[in-house]
Amino acid sequence: MRTPFHSIRWRVQAWHGAILLVVVAAFCVTTYRLSWNNHLRRIDKDVHRLDWSLIRALSRVSRPAGAPQAVGGDESPPSPTLIAARLRGGTVALPAETAALFEGTDPGFAYFILRDGSGKVLLQSPNAAGALDTPCAQSRDIDEEFRMIGHHREKVHRGGQTLNSVVGRDITPELDEMHRLAISLAVSGFAVWGLGLLGGWWIAGRAIQPIKTISRTASRIAAGNLDKRISTAGTDSELDQLSHVLNETFARLHTAFETQKQFTADASHELRTPVTILLSETHRMLKRERTPEEYRQALQTCHDTAQRMRQLIEALLLLANQEARRAGSPCGRCDLAAILKDTVQQLAPLAAARSIAVDTDLKEAACQGDPASLSVLASNLVANAIHHNRDGGWVHLTCRQDGPSVAFTVRDNGPGIAAEDLPHIFQRFYRGDKARTPTSGRTGLGLAIARTIAENHGGSISVDSKPGAGACFTVRLPSTA
Amino acid sequence: MRLLVIEDDPALLSSLAATLREEDYAVDTAPDGLDGLTKAQEGVYDAILLDLMLPKLDGWQVIERLRPSCRTPVLMLTARDTVPDRVKGLDRGADDYLTKPFDTDELLARIRALIRRSAGRSSPVIEIGELAVDTAARRVTLGGGEIALTAREYALLEYLCLHRGEVVSRTILYDHLFDEDDSTLSNLLDVHVSNLRRKLGRDIITTRRGHGYCIE
Repeated sequence: MRTPFHSIRWRVQAWHGAILLVVVAAFCVTTYRLSWNNHLRRIDKDVHRLDWSLIRALSRVSRPAGAPQAVGGDESPPSPTLIAARLRGGTVALPAETAALFEGTDPGFAYFILRDGSGKVLLQSPNAAGALDTPCAQSRDIDEEFRMIGHHREKVHRGGQTLNSVVGRDITPELDEMHRLAISLAVSGFAVWGLGLLGGWWIAGRAIQPIKTISRTASRIAAGNLDKRISTAGTDSELDQLSHVLNETFARLHTAFETQKQFTADASHELRTPVTILLSETHRMLKRERTPEEYRQALQTCHDTAQRMRQLIEALLLLANQEARRAGSPCGRCDLAAILKDTVQQLAPLAAARSIAVDTDLKEAACQGDPASLSVLASNLVANAIHHNRDGGWVHLTCRQDGPSVAFTVRDNGPGIAAEDLPHIFQRFYRGDKARTPTSGRTGLGLAIARTIAENHGGSISVDSKPGAGACFTVRLPSTA
Repeated sequence: MRLLVIEDDPALLSSLAATLREEDYAVDTAPDGLDGLTKAQEGVYDAILLDLMLPKLDGWQVIERLRPSCRTPVLMLTARDTVPDRVKGLDRGADDYLTKPFDTDELLARIRALIRRSAGRSSPVIEIGELAVDTAARRVTLGGGEIALTAREYALLEYLCLHRGEVVSRTILYDHLFDEDDSTLSNLLDVHVSNLRRKLGRDIITTRRGHGYCIE
């Protein structure tokens, strides 16, 4: 079943969304914590300042009257024991400006509580309600610490058995501010996440757009529209390179397909005429009684026609075999001169029938190849030269070592090949006179087979001809020497 | 009826010609496009069978050069069976198109239809009073009874019936009933006419002195 998560775009989007969410959340949390720490530092400073002013005020009021006042206000503070004693005596009153600091219950108010070593309250600000009364750990150690109690930040000073103080501040305004910050962080975080998702969706869409184009074009090609090509942006991106590779593949497929189609069409075209003859002759013969002579003639025609079809089918098979061998070229050392000599001997009767002189100039030439195939190649060229020659003409065969290759030529002094036919003579079924020449039993495949064999051996075939001056076919094959 | 077959494959050409002659057509042959065009331009044929792949001039060139002046129906015979090929052939002036390999009976039926249509008739049976000529079965009946005719007599009657109401000259009759190899004596036509009159009645064929023959 196809779910959205089979789509690359959806998967990219999911990963992108998850990662973005983590990043945005981390950012928001960090921002929140930094901001809270900042506030806390400020509050602690505030509380510390309050504590300091309380202690100073207490010190001032606790000093025994008539104690020598040091010059410049530099006085040694009275000991906590003294302060505690005075406080216990209940004779101490805070100065008004100090008491004003610890008044009211408006958000942000400050308070203090002073106790002696046994936990008894010595002095407390009026706003330090009983609920705020928190016990101090009874300890002999003297230390200081900041702590959070509900909506309050307190500085606790433990003075062992003498004087314990708690100076606190209501931090509701800061907490409210933090709350607002948290909401705005959450809202903007989600907004950024949403925008990121949209952007990611768009970018992922853009990134896979070429893939969609490629896939659409490929399906059109698969549907038989073989001349379609994927359009490339020319940016040489990864997808562009893929498109190029695909286009090349499609082009090769197209060529192969067209060749195959042409070949099938040509082959069926070539077989149509002989089949027509067979049908027409047999139909005519069967229509009424005939004389033995008429039957003999009709059978002869049918036989000749069937021979023609046999030659054509053999040539087609040979060509198909040669083309199938293209991948693994046959290997083996063979002597081209010997093959050519055999070919000439085999075709001697054909040449003699038309009084064509075949002479040879064969030097030893060893090449890599399959002797049977090379023999077909030579025989096709020589038979071609004899066939297209005029009666009483000549055919000249040479073969020699020529640098890294061996070359053999078949030259004749026939009427030659017209210039407009030259580029086409190696095509299957191409005939210079644009029509069949069935009497000779030629299939129109001889030169196509010759070229395929030459190319299978890693060689080449070329032709040079001028009308009226004969033709010269040259085959070059890799040498073993 | 006289036909021209233009076909470059000698075996097929002779087989086709033999088949058509056995169907009592007068048949001329041409092995290439140029020869075929020259013969076709004489204008003496009732139908032309034209191959496409021909030396010297191909089938399309032949029909293009033939068409403005010559109205003879042309049946294209070819191994090329793609739709564009057929359309091209028909658009250049061919009247019908038959792809190789074809059935001989179909070929003969198409030739008969072509000849009939080019004479302006659509029905295969021509009725003139009591006389009925079935061009498909090549049978003649008079008042319901079948009349036995020789091939030449039938061909003469069919030609005159297809061109009913026209005066057909002796030259035209010679051109359409005998092929180029026929060396028939000129008075043979009179013999066939008198035989037809004997078998079908005196009034069936009118002689117009100095002009020719006519079936009213």
